[in-house]
Amino acid sequence: MEKPVTRDPGFYVMVAIGLAVMFIAPVMLDLFTIMQITQYVVLSVFALSLGYIWGFGGILSFGQAAFFGLGAYTFAVASINMGSTTIPMVLAFVIPTLFGAALGYFMFYGRLSDVYLGVVTLVVALIFWKLINHTAGPEYSIGSARLGGFNGIPSIPTLHVPGDPSAWLDPGQMFQVFMGFLLVIYVALRFLIASDFGRVSISIRENETRSSLLGYDVRKHKVIVFAIGGGIAGIAGAMWATYQAFIDPNSVSMEMSAKALVWVMAGGVGTLVGPIIGCILLQWLTLQLGTVDVVNSIAVLGAIMMVLVLALPKGIVPTARSLLLGGYILWKRNHGQAIPGKVVKE
Amino acid sequence: MTTEHILTTRGLTMRFGGVTAVDNVDFNLRDGELRCLLGPNGAGKSTFFKCLTGQLTPTEGKITFAGQDVTGALTHQIVNLGVGIKTQVPNVFDGISAYENVRLSARRKHLAPMARELTHTTLERCGITHLAKREVGLLSHGQRQLVELAMVLAGEPKLILLDEPAAGMTGDERDRLAQLVLESARSAAVVVVEHDMAFIRQIAKFVTVFNRGAIFREAMIDDIMQDREVQEIYLGKQANVAAA
Repeated sequence: MEKPVTRDPGFYVMVAIGLAVMFIAPVMLDLFTIMQITQYVVLSVFALSLGYIWGFGGILSFGQAAFFGLGAYTFAVASINMGSTTIPMVLAFVIPTLFGAALGYFMFYGRLSDVYLGVVTLVVALIFWKLINHTAGPEYSIGSARLGGFNGIPSIPTLHVPGDPSAWLDPGQMFQVFMGFLLVIYVALRFLIASDFGRVSISIRENETRSSLLGYDVRKHKVIVFAIGGGIAGIAGAMWATYQAFIDPNSVSMEMSAKALVWVMAGGVGTLVGPIIGCILLQWLTLQLGTVDVVNSIAVLGAIMMVLVLALPKGIVPTARSLLLGGYILWKRNHGQAIPGKVVKE
Repeated sequence: MTTEHILTTRGLTMRFGGVTAVDNVDFNLRDGELRCLLGPNGAGKSTFFKCLTGQLTPTEGKITFAGQDVTGALTHQIVNLGVGIKTQVPNVFDGISAYENVRLSARRKHLAPMARELTHTTLERCGITHLAKREVGLLSHGQRQLVELAMVLAGEPKLILLDEPAAGMTGDERDRLAQLVLESARSAAVVVVEHDMAFIRQIAKFVTVFNRGAIFREAMIDDIMQDREVQEIYLGKQANVAAA
């Protein structure tokens, strides 16, 4: 009765759409548009990281950008020093994961309640931001990479074929590789969520007391979920760094953390597609509004957010899903068939 | 039934500021025993259960379960020693199906295929197979109680604690529950907190009465039913009892 991922048609549809975009977009679209949507792909990975820990682990982090920034800076420093991007990409996953595990250990084994968890994650991101802003002098260097304070780190190497630093990727290839990252992370998360581990994290989201009363170590589970989320955000950060060839403290800012929260909320907590759709939609809107001079784009965005929360409190994807399901049930009823999944009285 | 004690508490005390919710309780439960816990609201029965399962760390005293000192141990550690509890307010996973709720419990000790089988048999035992696919948050209170009970049973505990299991149940559901409790008592020790006298009569033999956090009486059910003082504390005439 447990529905495996491999028997969910929605999963195949999503992967097919992803593959189609991955291979067709570079052929159909011009260079500028490709670079533009590459940005959406990177930020979608970031959105997924929060969508996973919030929607499937019940951990609401107000400072997810801390991991994004940590991944970005790790990649920048490591790739400048090593002259290659392969190992730095791995490090951009490993170091934020370890940091997430350490931070999570103190938060969850210290039994922080949800509110304080929000505060601690927020403050950690703020500390990062402050710290990096104060590294402007030449004395703040790691190897040959200067941290550069609020000026950021320029000339970060572009992603290249593993083992051959001269074979760097052109924007079209970079887009395809990043789409590949997004797809792999999406698929991995789907399988993780459907696994026994994932089911236990969902049970913890639903009712922490009951999970521990069934004998599950809630603290350990939460630390692992939080660390995985941190690692994914770190990868997104590294993708961001190599895409822009530049990184500055804005990547750790409050705005970055808040954006992730808004994307997940708008798209739908408890789904993986939701955060991706929320991210793309709102980033696209921000871009469009940026070209309008008449009104302040942030004010308009805020208004749109309020309308979204009021009209679709569950988010775009869950609402669309229940509308579709409702239509399907009506259609079935009109055709005189029993509705699957619903118990019919005998 | 052996005479060995599966659960003992010595001087168990739980204070919240100036309030003593559990007051110096010495409780003994034999392996395989079925015990009913009675007492008016606020007598400390639920707090007692919370101390036993590590949801609260007792202020003083010692808890021994299956020969091990579990005072101050964490909830999941105690549970993994073989304690299952149905809490007063059902603690279930609202957003997921009844089947998945029970499977999460069964999966704790068993590999997936075994867990699936155990889930099916447990749902059947509790008479809720027809609810398996339903989202638990949408079920009635009595049905949620049964789902929670199934979760407890699927964990195959050595000690089952049931806090007001019959609340919100229909007559039929209650009869089935009584049957289940008697059946479970064959393989595990059971402690039941309940106010429903009709239900108590169906299952009870030896009864412990709590009042104001302390053990007030321990006797066979027939003697308890005829005890004037017990009747009075239930009716709230504590003043008389204190004077007597």
